[in-house]
Amino acid sequence: MAETVIQVEQLSKLYRLGTIGTGSLRQDLQRWWNMSVLRREDPFFQLQGTETAAAHNQFLWALQDVSFEVEQGHALGIIGSNGSGKSTLLKIISRIVKPTKGTVRGKGKISSLLEVGTGFHHELTGRENIYISGYTLGMDKQEIRSKFDEIVAFSGIEKFIDTPVKRYSSGMYVRLAFAVAAHLEPDILIVDEVLAVGDADFQQKCLGKMQKVSQSDGRTIIFVSHSMQAINNLCDKAVWLNKGIMKESGRASDVINKYVANIQKLNIKQVWDNPETAPGNNYVRFKRVELIPHKNNSEDPLDIRTPLTIQFEFWNLSDSIVLSSGLILNSYKGECIFDIPAPDVRCHKGIVSGECHIPGNFLNDGSYYISITIVKDKAVGIYNFEECLSFEIEDYRPDLNWYGKWKGVVRPNFPFVLTPSKSFVDETYNV
Amino acid sequence: MSTTSEGKWDWNISAKTSFWSWGIDEIWSYRHLLFSLVRRDFLLNYQQTILGPLWILFQPLLTLVTYVLVFGKLVRLDIGNVPPTLFYFSGIVLWNFFSDSFGGTSNTFRDNAHIFSKVYFPRFIMPVSVISTHFLRFVVQLLLFIFLIAYYVLFRGFAVSYNWWLLAFPFSIIFIGIIGLGLGLLFSVLTAKYRDIGNLVGVAIRLLMFVTPVIYPLATVPERVRWIVQINPLTPLFELFRLSLLGEGIVSVSQLLYSVLFMVVVFFGAILVFNKQGDKLIDVV
Repeated sequence: MAETVIQVEQLSKLYRLGTIGTGSLRQDLQRWWNMSVLRREDPFFQLQGTETAAAHNQFLWALQDVSFEVEQGHALGIIGSNGSGKSTLLKIISRIVKPTKGTVRGKGKISSLLEVGTGFHHELTGRENIYISGYTLGMDKQEIRSKFDEIVAFSGIEKFIDTPVKRYSSGMYVRLAFAVAAHLEPDILIVDEVLAVGDADFQQKCLGKMQKVSQSDGRTIIFVSHSMQAINNLCDKAVWLNKGIMKESGRASDVINKYVANIQKLNIKQVWDNPETAPGNNYVRFKRVELIPHKNNSEDPLDIRTPLTIQFEFWNLSDSIVLSSGLILNSYKGECIFDIPAPDVRCHKGIVSGECHIPGNFLNDGSYYISITIVKDKAVGIYNFEECLSFEIEDYRPDLNWYGKWKGVVRPNFPFVLTPSKSFVDETYNV
Repeated sequence: MSTTSEGKWDWNISAKTSFWSWGIDEIWSYRHLLFSLVRRDFLLNYQQTILGPLWILFQPLLTLVTYVLVFGKLVRLDIGNVPPTLFYFSGIVLWNFFSDSFGGTSNTFRDNAHIFSKVYFPRFIMPVSVISTHFLRFVVQLLLFIFLIAYYVLFRGFAVSYNWWLLAFPFSIIFIGIIGLGLGLLFSVLTAKYRDIGNLVGVAIRLLMFVTPVIYPLATVPERVRWIVQINPLTPLFELFRLSLLGEGIVSVSQLLYSVLFMVVVFFGAILVFNKQGDKLIDVV
């Protein structure tokens, strides 16, 4: 088993809210007066009594009792929505802020990239910035010198290396800044969402570099990102933080699935009774949208084998109108899987219903949502009901020993067989 | 999990803050950062200016002209037998060194909040780089000062008899630098916590100049109020500087000891406070 290089134990961080600057001299003096002179209890901050203080919105637990371990050469992903404490956690591990409770222990040199271009100064040239930023991030002179050409080549700004970076385009600036960071060689690298910058090509380059660092060089990476794809590709393990509390930890793909399922609220039936307030407009008002899975057992999960029926009803508010509809299925990433049109039909005032059937063994596992559009006169869209249904399809593989994420947008089981030819085998091997 | 022994780990982060959290070796490992910061400050100050680094000399010279005109010709302060140019110049360069060191380092947390909140390195590097920059500027100005003394001795008949006190002037410079750094560190913590104090520092430095023998020698201060000037631990150091280089100044051993004691207390106290509070302040700035 690999050696544990970082151990986070019951880490908690409490932040004081509000304007800390003003009035804190008075508060501090008052506290000092109460505690040191009058020998009373601290009127503002008692660690045992923080629950009451938190109730008064004075304090915020950015992290609460977070514990995990990272082994050497592993990449750990940290996921969670905004404000869940991811950055606070990274800052504590990077020694930038102190925890309120708990400890972090570690082995080896640690470098953190919490922003692109730490230590950069606009007035200095690219060359000078490579050095000063490198030093700031903890490299030594020898290291930078030996990698200087590589850094410049990686950033692709050879021509501008002696120009002050204030004259760079923002893209060049970011590329140079990341190039320095990418050539750090600490034992443990901490990366916070830096991939959110630069064009797609450059992002790919950075991800590739990080992958190389963790997989072939045996370095440890802690990585925060909102891109599940990046975490999935790069990390073996993941931790999911929710409002400072660790919700899940374990294999990256498992944690990501749970996280995605959680943020994607399951919504398979919606009914409205009142046509005045139902979603819609002057033409149509929706009455019901429903997803009906055809499961053998009601306890079974909705998996890739389950056939699905989508039903919807709406009030048509105009007389004698030619209507049709489109049913759009999107993955949670926003990718459109399909867009099925319904044939035109002449409708009168009243309820119109629609139904679409998706066979089993067609969609891949993942989270999806459905939007329905209503179209009049073959071309004019009159209402678009976005994300009216959302659901999740679980994976199912009965006799396979492989557990990686199944690739592909869809997963139909079209007929596909291998047929060994007995005679051919005999002929070949008996000669 | 809790069975792992503490000794197994290279580092350990917990809520505790210690007064001496990093060693000299850690600062040493960041020495290149220190050098490049000093270099940066130098370059930035004079980039895209016509006179460039010559400003290091022009600034005190322009002040000198003002002082000689205002205090020498208009107010006619009694400054003893030393030529006014030399007298005021010595005061200006030494005082600038002190006020730049103090003022510059007292903004450590405010000026570097963005970088302190993004990356870890010994926070001490920043104030040290500031004072190193000012020290280098001072050395250049000191060379000009020595050149001026030589000119006055050789061509203007300024008679000065040097004795063993000459060897003392480096100490007065170092002690003043350390006091400036110490006060700066102390106030950097205070200004980070309480912004109001930041405004106070500027005023305080300016007022402090008037109770320091910068534009007047201690000898001309009336006996009745001399104690006010003598309470100031900088006074003996300024007098020592003038005594050793210009041959005039009132220095007593007990006064010097007082200054040294003040320096030691302020400097070590400041380092302890800076260390202890440095980690916590990131939450505040």
